[in-house]
Amino acid sequence: MSRIWVLTGYLVRALFGSLAGVAPLAAAVTFGLIAFEYGMDQAQLFTVGGLGIGVIGFLATLLLAGKADRAASYLLVGRLRSRTELLAAIGAGGWCITWALALGIVSVNLLAGRLTLSWPSLLWLVPTWSVLWLLTSALAVALSGLVSRGASNLLGYLLLVVILVANDRQTELLERGASWAVRIAERVTWPVGALLAEASAGVHGRTYLLALALVLFLAAALFLLAAYLFRDKDVLWSE
Amino acid sequence: MTEPCLIRALGVTKRYGNARALDRLSLQVPEGSVFGLLGPNGAGKTTFLRLVMGFLFPEEGTLDRCGLPPCQVGYVPDRAFYPSRLRVREYLCLVGRLAGLGGGALQRRVQDLLTALDLEGAARTRLSGCSRGMLQRVGLAQALLGDPRMLLLDEPMLGLDPSGQKLMRARIEALHLSGKTIVLSSHNLSDVARVCTHVAMLRHGRLARSGRLDALLPLRPEVSIQTGPMPAGLPSAIRSLDPGILVSENRITLAGEVAERKTDVLRLLLGAGVDIRELIEARATLEEVYLEATQG
Repeated sequence: MSRIWVLTGYLVRALFGSLAGVAPLAAAVTFGLIAFEYGMDQAQLFTVGGLGIGVIGFLATLLLAGKADRAASYLLVGRLRSRTELLAAIGAGGWCITWALALGIVSVNLLAGRLTLSWPSLLWLVPTWSVLWLLTSALAVALSGLVSRGASNLLGYLLLVVILVANDRQTELLERGASWAVRIAERVTWPVGALLAEASAGVHGRTYLLALALVLFLAAALFLLAAYLFRDKDVLWSE
Repeated sequence: MTEPCLIRALGVTKRYGNARALDRLSLQVPEGSVFGLLGPNGAGKTTFLRLVMGFLFPEEGTLDRCGLPPCQVGYVPDRAFYPSRLRVREYLCLVGRLAGLGGGALQRRVQDLLTALDLEGAARTRLSGCSRGMLQRVGLAQALLGDPRMLLLDEPMLGLDPSGQKLMRARIEALHLSGKTIVLSSHNLSDVARVCTHVAMLRHGRLARSGRLDALLPLRPEVSIQTGPMPAGLPSAIRSLDPGILVSENRITLAGEVAERKTDVLRLLLGAGVDIRELIEARATLEEVYLEATQG
């Protein structure tokens, strides 16, 4: 476990010590300014903040994977008992960066009076966002070039886009008789949608807990998929 | 009885696209040896080391590290694959933590290595500012963190000046004496001849020759005997055995077919009570064997 945190620290430092580190910071500033321009209540913060900052976390995790996907990692990977430790470090790094950016965005907007929060229901942010961002981090690890075999990451991106578009264009798809596509998209996106809907409504019953568990399960499944792809992948890194 | 091994490759094949980097390679690295991997560029030396490190996987065959965990294998790559922004000490501490060291033990070990490898003055230098020789020493230092049983050195002399090469050789010899198994790839045959106990020669990814260095170098039909003062008449008695025997003041040389008369010459010398100070049986050089194996 300590090796994972050592690697996490190294990768986060490598990211923010390079020009690439500007990207998640710039994205966070932009999101913080635009999304909160007209103010935001707690319910909106759960959903808009969760998804928006999650996307930034996804980007940060991809950048961390990029930092690991280079020749300087040879001697570090050679010391690991399992390559999965590297993936865990990337995922953990992405998750930590996401939380750090979220705390920054929320704090600044709270101080600027653009955010209305109520205590103690605000505490439900912690499990909701934590699990959601575990999913975005695991998704980024699985879609990174580091673990991709052949064009597996491109296939993954394609699948993700298809699901998101199908979920967004449900009416059009139903009119064209593609109800099966709508059903698939609904089922795949249900855990995230239900988790955020329940959390923003302040309802934390069985549906919320089921959604929480399913999001966690999805994150674990994606991480295991990434570990499987990376387990015996040839690494031919160059500077 | 077979020697205990730390690496056992059996029929290992590795391809890059259509090109075969290793072709049904089988070899064993005995424990405690200094094992030299020789071969022209593209022969598969670096590929073999990366397979051992687990960076690559063979398409065919098996490569067994005989149960050695990653922390027991130190690796020095042929190129400077280091995070350029880190300072030397920071980098060694990072690798040390990954090797399972921590706290005071880590700081002590890093300090010891900085001292032993003459890097104390460079401890705060960024890796991007290190010379080639310094990076080679940093590479060796990071490989030695965790006190590994086996070291893989890819072209350890590459880019070093003569004094740097001499120091590196001395370090390899010292590590060998301390009981470590060392696998090194090199183009420098004289270095290999000086430090290696075993050698494998690769050609187009295949094993051309392998074995103990002394066994790989065949004896030449040439014997040179250094003697003490010889009584008068003995040189002519020796020459009478075969006119091809060369006798100078204190040296007798038997070259070619005449070398077979070695026993007769020695009998004469011992019979006359002559002090035999040295007997050298000439061997083929590593270069000759290498060229024959890799170009033949």
